Amino acid sequence: MTTTRNPGLEDTTDTLAIPRRSVGQTLLASGTVLALVVLIAFFFAMRPDIFLSFTNVRNILYQVAILAIIAGAQTIVMVVGDFDLSVAATAALAGSVSAALMLGGTPVAVAILAGLVVGLLIGLVNGVLVAYLNLSAFVATLATLTSVTGLAFLVTGGTTLFNMPAEFNNLGQGRLLQIPLPVFIAIAISLILWAVLRFTTLGRRWYATGGNVEVSRLSGVNVRRARLLAFTIAGLVSAFGGILLAARLGSASAVQGEDNLLFAVAAVFLGMTVARSGAANIPGTMVGVAIIGVMSNGLNILGVNSYVQQVVTGLIIIAAVTLSSLRTRVR
Amino acid sequence: MRTKFRVVAALAAAAALTLTACSSGGGDTGGGDTGGGGDEPFRVIAFTSGNQTPIGAWWVKAVEAQADELGWDLTMIQGDFDFQKMNPAVESAIGQGADAIFNGYTDEGSIQSIVTAARDAEIPIFAMDAATEPTDAYVLNVTTDQQGIVDQTVGALDETLAGLDGKTVMVIGHEPHAGIRMRSALAMEAFEEAGADIAGGDIQQVLSPATGRTEALAFVADYMSANPGKLGAVWAGWDDAALGAAQAITEAGEAGKVTGVDAVAEAIAQIEAGGAMLATVEQPWPSILDMVIEAMVAYQESGDLPAENFEAVDTTLVTADNAADITPSDQLE
Repeated sequence: MTTTRNPGLEDTTDTLAIPRRSVGQTLLASGTVLALVVLIAFFFAMRPDIFLSFTNVRNILYQVAILAIIAGAQTIVMVVGDFDLSVAATAALAGSVSAALMLGGTPVAVAILAGLVVGLLIGLVNGVLVAYLNLSAFVATLATLTSVTGLAFLVTGGTTLFNMPAEFNNLGQGRLLQIPLPVFIAIAISLILWAVLRFTTLGRRWYATGGNVEVSRLSGVNVRRARLLAFTIAGLVSAFGGILLAARLGSASAVQGEDNLLFAVAAVFLGMTVARSGAANIPGTMVGVAIIGVMSNGLNILGVNSYVQQVVTGLIIIAAVTLSSLRTRVR
Repeated sequence: MRTKFRVVAALAAAAALTLTACSSGGGDTGGGDTGGGGDEPFRVIAFTSGNQTPIGAWWVKAVEAQADELGWDLTMIQGDFDFQKMNPAVESAIGQGADAIFNGYTDEGSIQSIVTAARDAEIPIFAMDAATEPTDAYVLNVTTDQQGIVDQTVGALDETLAGLDGKTVMVIGHEPHAGIRMRSALAMEAFEEAGADIAGGDIQQVLSPATGRTEALAFVADYMSANPGKLGAVWAGWDDAALGAAQAITEAGEAGKVTGVDAVAEAIAQIEAGGAMLATVEQPWPSILDMVIEAMVAYQESGDLPAENFEAVDTTLVTADNAADITPSDQLE
């Protein structure tokens, strides 16, 4: 009997049998976490009075909450070895649909549900295209991205929708214990995704599929269904992010939050360097999200030009992925 | 059988996506047959890259309506901010012949190949809001007075803050947009002359207009986090960024004031409600369109080109006092 080891699970715990590593290997393996620690230490040293203050830490968490949700969606798809270019567009469409319905008099809960259904359906379409029609995930989700963006323009009429009910906006702007609600929601969604990946059969199947499709299939995993579910859940989670973004800004537009796609991918890649296997994983993705948030906030506080910020963000990602690559070679 | 099913399903999915994409309304490059002179209809090529913005979408509809009314043979080209797609389409239409070209909201810097093709074909280009300064590219370009916009918005902040000397002001811009670039630089000069401190020492540049609100929100939230109670005002080059800045100030519970430009419905509503959003600027696009159309009709009838190739018209400062009387720019009909 063959025992299939779950690479994602191996990476999130130290309890499994993994060969002891040298100090150099450990440093390389934890390069991304180290980068986060160094960034925090650097910005704290530059602005000790501000950077780790409650207000600023809350500010960082608030700014990355929605990115964390969308990066979580991207993580699921990347666990199965695919890629979803439509997560940010799906988020924008879901937010727009919910907003448009609310402005048309639909109750808040129903409008939110409709937005989530839209996300789920887009994910389902992606899943069918990739898993059952064997289209490349890149091509399929690029096509979906294009059409979904067009749909979002149709839904919003090219304008920004606003004046949603206060109870909806409160989802994105309200606070509990002085912490913005989106932070709690992002933490809850991340924990759920982590638990699904870590403890459920579905999660194990996703990791197995991402590890080796053929071996998974021969081992009895319904690979197609696993990929379909991954895209579908990614669509649903993206919709959560988009609806929350609309509530956070009190408005919805067709291209709202489009930078979430690239930042989500960057966060997942950064997170993959945290795992020993190099597989996508939720804790790693959250480290990636934290790096992006800390860097953006820290550089803003230091008054660094936004163009330079973009260059630095790219360099940090290259550095982290290079560390990961060096680590793989060392192994 | 299975393969056939896959092929049919893939084709159906592609067809559905194509229909959806088509229904989004972009990229109409259909053109009429051209003739020119005599009893032939006046042939006009109109193009805009900004058709996906509310004002750009209004412009497309308004020009089509005017062309219908005037009996023009109109070729409308919508670029979706994709110059690689739009420029060749316009050049192709020029190659088929036209009497005049109408550029809506597309900066001269992005259409040099079109300008060259039009010049070679000796077709005059009329434009609105397509450059911030006089240029030989157009026989007429009517836009808004950028210095006037800055005077109005900076003046509003000056009055509300009881002087700008020693006050900290953040200026938010977006360099790729010629109008925003120019007025941001002018605003920066005006604030410095008035003795204000510029937050961050320079204009805070938003990278993408699509994320302008969240970028501006982060700029202002981070600045206030590092400098609590210090930010007196935010001057933003357009309303979406101004709304993000206003939200950051409101969430932080600070007293700073914000001005924007564009007079979109959401900004006007916030101005009326009171709070961080102090003012915006209405740019009179319908009357500007009328001016350009009038010049084109004069050219059609007499062959005379406008005496001046650049005109900058006055704008209206929108505050709580007159907000109720302003038609939002994203609700023009």
